[in-house]
Amino acid sequence: MSEAVAIAVQALRALRSRLAAAWTRRPVRIGAGALALAALALAGTGWDFEPVPPRDPAAAGARPAAREAVRLAGERERLQAALRRRVPRGAWIVIDQTHNRLRLMRGDATLLEAPCSAGSGMVLKEGAAGRVWVFDTPRGRFEVLSKTEDPVWKKPDWAFVEEGEPIPKDPADRLEYGSLGEYALYFGNGYMIHGTLYERLLGRPVSHGCIRLGREPLRLVYRTAPLGTPVYIY
Amino acid sequence: MRATLPCIARALALTLALRAGAGEAAEAVGTLDPATRSLQREVAQLRRERELSAGKSFYLRLDAPEQRLALMLQGITLDDYATSGLEVGVPEILFVDRRPRADWDTRPISHGRLEPARQRDRLEVLAPAASAAPAAEASPSPPPVAKSAEEAFSVPSPYRIVFAEGISLEVISRGEGRRNRGFARRLGDAIGLRLSDLGTALGFASKDRVRLRVTLEAEDAASLYRSLPPDVELVVAGLEAR
Repeated sequence: MSEAVAIAVQALRALRSRLAAAWTRRPVRIGAGALALAALALAGTGWDFEPVPPRDPAAAGARPAAREAVRLAGERERLQAALRRRVPRGAWIVIDQTHNRLRLMRGDATLLEAPCSAGSGMVLKEGAAGRVWVFDTPRGRFEVLSKTEDPVWKKPDWAFVEEGEPIPKDPADRLEYGSLGEYALYFGNGYMIHGTLYERLLGRPVSHGCIRLGREPLRLVYRTAPLGTPVYIY
Repeated sequence: MRATLPCIARALALTLALRAGAGEAAEAVGTLDPATRSLQREVAQLRRERELSAGKSFYLRLDAPEQRLALMLQGITLDDYATSGLEVGVPEILFVDRRPRADWDTRPISHGRLEPARQRDRLEVLAPAASAAPAAEASPSPPPVAKSAEEAFSVPSPYRIVFAEGISLEVISRGEGRRNRGFARRLGDAIGLRLSDLGTALGFASKDRVRLRVTLEAEDAASLYRSLPPDVELVVAGLEAR
């Protein structure tokens, strides 16, 4: 073992002295060779990609022959059916808060696509009390929990803070009529889909977290979406 | 010593039995024809998809045969993009591939994060001091207008969604609108990505083992970059073993 190591060390020394001698005689050639080797090593180090071809229609219809394949094919069909059943049969709503678009669906059909206004993402800071509000629309799956015609907005503290008004002691002073449009569909935690006084801003993120919708689309959504309608927000 | 010997013997017997079992399992897998193996893989991918559809996380579904990428939640397609190219990459050092484990795409792929990260500058408003008298306006003041997503985030190309399990999804934009960042930022992105490629291939930067590369229309690539929820998961459907 030690003999093998000694031989290897000797060989390395001999190589080093040869390289040193060569470097003295032909520095440009040796330098260029080293650079080429380094470039080759770099070219061969990284990521190796292989294209994935699209589905071959001829292969898709092939029937399995082996018993195990038949069992697997059956399981595949069951799993695919279970996944298809995830799509609600009735109405459902999808809200893209990045692009401020609302889609009303029934099964696989799109009934409506309309601009809306989602949360602005702004941060409101109250000077003395130090409270902070972030006007984001939540993401995830929600459900229509209640529906209201001619909704009355019970203004939360931030609505007064934002306007520089004192927070009222009488709850009746928090009520505001007309600003939520004709209808509201609540989907939890104080969030709702409602109308707006600022229809020209639809398509932009300007709300305090609720979803604002234009008058006509709101009418259709209100008529079509019963209680329990899933609302998916991303 | 007398108590130790039977323990060693039992451990040895157990190891041998496990090895024999593993050998049988490998043999059983080995006897399957390629079509059945492919079906087995597809079923495992579907099981994973069913698990995800029962959870509360957003996930991306990459359909390899149909060449589509979808953002999903509980089995619902929220957004769907056609890819004009799909490639699977593995790191290589000196032209030698470092292969991942064969079942990488049937296991959980989670905690996806954007690279370069999406920076969101939030508008901060300091509330005016409260006055005793209510505002004399007849109607509420219009809300301040925040930047839209298009105004707030420029989109790098390519960008990556890097998952915790060493899988990453690289999105390349094509068509008009793919150059929506300045030259200096694009150059910085390109150099950064190349260095990151070398680092990941050599195992310095991260544990990236598989990279899926998709090409999307610039508008779709931008839309995905801007709307991708945090901690997204990934499920790959119908990808054949390499």
